[in-house]
Amino acid sequence: MEDTIRQNIMSRRYGRNRLMMTLSVVAAGLGMFFLAIILGTLLFHGVSSLSLDVFTMSIPAEGSRGGLLNAMYGTAMVTFFAILIAAPIGILAGTYLIEYANGSKLAEVAKFINDILLSAPSIIIGVFVYGAIVVPMRGNSAIAGIAALALIALPVVNRTTQDMLLLVPNALREATAALGAPRWKSMTHVIYRSAWTGILTGILLAVARISGETAPLLFTAGYSKFMNAGFTGPIATLPVAINTLAADPGEDLKRLAWAGALIITVAILAINIIARLMGGRRQ
Amino acid sequence: MVDATNGADFSRVDVAAITKTFKLQDRIFFFMTLASAALVVLMLLAILVVLVIDALPTFQTYGLSFLWGTVWSAPTEKFGAVPAVMGTLISSLIAMLIAVPISFGIAIFLTELCPGPLRRPIGTAIELLAGVPSIIYGIVGLFVLVPLMQLYILPFLIATIGQVPVIGYLFQPPAPGVGLLTASLVLAIMVLPFITAITRDVFLTVPPMLRESAYGMGMTTWEVARNILIPYTRRGLVGGVMLGLGRALGETMAVTFVVGSVTRLQASIISPSTTISAQIANTFGEADGLQLSSLIALGLLLFILSFCVLALAKWMIGRSDSF
Repeated sequence: MEDTIRQNIMSRRYGRNRLMMTLSVVAAGLGMFFLAIILGTLLFHGVSSLSLDVFTMSIPAEGSRGGLLNAMYGTAMVTFFAILIAAPIGILAGTYLIEYANGSKLAEVAKFINDILLSAPSIIIGVFVYGAIVVPMRGNSAIAGIAALALIALPVVNRTTQDMLLLVPNALREATAALGAPRWKSMTHVIYRSAWTGILTGILLAVARISGETAPLLFTAGYSKFMNAGFTGPIATLPVAINTLAADPGEDLKRLAWAGALIITVAILAINIIARLMGGRRQ
Repeated sequence: MVDATNGADFSRVDVAAITKTFKLQDRIFFFMTLASAALVVLMLLAILVVLVIDALPTFQTYGLSFLWGTVWSAPTEKFGAVPAVMGTLISSLIAMLIAVPISFGIAIFLTELCPGPLRRPIGTAIELLAGVPSIIYGIVGLFVLVPLMQLYILPFLIATIGQVPVIGYLFQPPAPGVGLLTASLVLAIMVLPFITAITRDVFLTVPPMLRESAYGMGMTTWEVARNILIPYTRRGLVGGVMLGLGRALGETMAVTFVVGSVTRLQASIISPSTTISAQIANTFGEADGLQLSSLIALGLLLFILSFCVLALAKWMIGRSDSF
């Protein structure tokens, strides 16, 4: 009697375990399936749309030859200058929060605010830059796009710098101080050097993040069919071009959107993998 | 005398002058870092100030009734926040209902079941899913998921759940494929890797001793997950879910492509609808005057909403764990 009860309980427990573990494996399969669907769709539509024209010509009108050169240039240019602004400021801000003010109430508030910025919806950044730069300048411009992306990259770099500086052993700081080195020399010659791979990984991740952003660029950098190298005019970026071309009824332009989607995804995944490899080597 | 110092003659070094330069350089470096940190804080203030100033005309016109106005119509210049806010809240809620169980499942798989050599590749694959830009989710959703929804899933839902008395109202046509439910599915797939990564990380913080004693007492894997992992990490889990929710609330491009952009308050979750971010992305370009100001007011609401969710998440997680 007691044995059958025990057996019943056991079989119920093992039955439930089997069910839940099957569900868990199914969930993991589902995750892989989603990745496969996304990459598969991109490859399926993207590869057939790739051609030399995509890399050598600017966005065409429907029916004529063209490519995405101006959008690729735009993404590279806007991302480059955004990082150029955000990286030094982010590193210095992280330095202040960990090296000079760590533990103080003010620093805690500043860290919290940085985390809020880090996760703020990116379209809000776009709306802000629209009000702060586009309206006074009376039009979309590469500068506005750079400002928006810099504002998105800044908290990422700041946060990574904080995390990496926390990993640097205090003995290093004490040793350089004991040698009589001024603080800035100890930072630039010793502390940054030992945290460098980590900070660089953070910067790479920031590049990966901002080069795929669409929402903050819609009303800041804007969109243009033409090659535009200047700072003050509207400039096309790959994500915004994809957004515009995918909604176009023209089949050729839609194919161009898929080509762009494939290019930007491959580029971003490559940066992500490089960043991961670098971060992995550190440990 | 000379060889030990490479020829430098230290007797002539002016120590006081060097100390002075070093002090000056140190001050400059300090103020550069201080200014950078202050800039980050000022940026948040600037964002708030600009949003509030630009949203002011709306609040001057409608007062707080903007918050519960249910009509959004550009031709008649009537703007109320409810349709877009409801769309944002409902789509994020459904997305979380779908994504959270799947994320927990994957995390349990990765920490408890997965054979060692597969752990890293599968973990990395799911993290890569998080790196895919949101516009890619948008176009894949539009060209793959929307036809599927339109042809198979939504007609099925209308024919089955749609006939049930009360909740049937949620599944009423029209169902052209784009709509809140489609947006929720895309959002769920987007936040999935994000929540999975945090869940896995907090599961890994459970001391091996606890886990092993539980197994040693004869618990099944599910019982270990249920009675040890989840209770031990519940704060981190809730925090991770909140961070995922924050993402879902603010997501723009993935939603804009598949939500249908119809600004009307309705019961059906399968009909075309809108969210705050989709509303801004779609109409900001050609809006002016009161409409523009109302869109910015919506943006301000979204900012406050995601701020609250994030603050809650931080408070749950504790700072050091994850972001």
